[in-house]
Amino acid sequence: MTAVETREPPGRKAADRSAHTGLSPMLGRLAAERASGVLTRDRGVLYLVDGQVVHAESPATPGLDVLLTAGGTLGSEGWWEAVSQAGAERRVGRFLVDSGRLSAGALELCHLGALYDAAYFTLGPNSGPTRFRYGVAHWIGPVRPVSVAAVERETLRRRALLDRIWPESATDTEPVERTGRRADPSLPPRRRTVLDHVDGERTAAAISLALGRPGFHTLVDLRRLAAAGMVTATVRPAAATPPDARPPADGPPARPVPPPADRPVPRAASDPDIGLLVRLKEALEAL
Amino acid sequence: MSGIDECLLEAMRLPGARGAAVVDWTSGLALGTVGDSPTGDHEATAAETAEFARLAAEHKTFAPAEGADWAGGEPPVEDLVVSNRDSYHVLRFVRTTFDSSVFLHLWMGRSDGNLALARIRLGEMAERLVVG
Repeated sequence: MTAVETREPPGRKAADRSAHTGLSPMLGRLAAERASGVLTRDRGVLYLVDGQVVHAESPATPGLDVLLTAGGTLGSEGWWEAVSQAGAERRVGRFLVDSGRLSAGALELCHLGALYDAAYFTLGPNSGPTRFRYGVAHWIGPVRPVSVAAVERETLRRRALLDRIWPESATDTEPVERTGRRADPSLPPRRRTVLDHVDGERTAAAISLALGRPGFHTLVDLRRLAAAGMVTATVRPAAATPPDARPPADGPPARPVPPPADRPVPRAASDPDIGLLVRLKEALEAL
Repeated sequence: MSGIDECLLEAMRLPGARGAAVVDWTSGLALGTVGDSPTGDHEATAAETAEFARLAAEHKTFAPAEGADWAGGEPPVEDLVVSNRDSYHVLRFVRTTFDSSVFLHLWMGRSDGNLALARIRLGEMAERLVVG
């Protein structure tokens, strides 16, 4: 019989310990002490049981209820019945499967996707102070726990993935608008659906909610649309203003001002050509 | 035993199976893994297979004549097959009623693997994974 890996493969441990330094030192400690409770930051919450992540939620990505009801997988009355029947016992996930509303596989796929998405936003760079309340459990109940190390690795991998697609992060959080460039007829249908919802007011989170689509998927599509020149954020990060466009200062030429700490700065470019193109574009638009 | 684990263990019972995974192709996330992986790291393999699956799912060239509109959550491509001197890879797209981008990946030895059987069985597994 082959064993399914739900824990870390051997040989990963050493790397994992050092990986804890990047995202939230508290989370690493909570995993080590096998804590149970809820970790709260500005952009979301992570629920832990015995030091493993069992559930996560963030306003930046639709919850399980939206994901399951938007496509008609579940009627909203089916969802609420499960919550009212099994919420007090904190076994809503199990109830959905046992009552035949959902297969175990469908629940796991949807829940795991939502968990990693919400964790990505919760552990984002400017997510504020971290608090933890011991003993708090979520009513969805056990579905498929994942290790803190796996969640942290995945979060870092996703940041790198987005930066490789397009190094400017403003489309992740700010309202997005179309640039006026005609949509390429070869645009894949799923990405076209995202483009159709870009109206100058909605953010990535609002588009995800409207489509009932995992939040990180929308970030990926918006970065690809930005890279293709079809979509741009309505608000630019302050740091994007080229130094030359600033009013002339008295005395010696102003040194480039460090970006304000509360703004994610488009990371300088793993690919120098893209970085150069971004700066050129910013400079041209500022003329 | 859970849905994803059951599905992966069933895949490992196919002749020649070396490893299997359930992967999200938009993010490259490995939702579940079993057995060995060609790179020795299931997460790295998932990211690479996801990129391959994404290109196939997004390019018109591989879509059926009536178009790639994902009607009813139906992926435009059913499966992808890669063969090399010593092994086969089969990637089977999973149709879900909720919005997702998931596939099953089976890696099997070429001398003892049965590609035709694997394609049929993976199709059935992909269906049972979400229908129950």
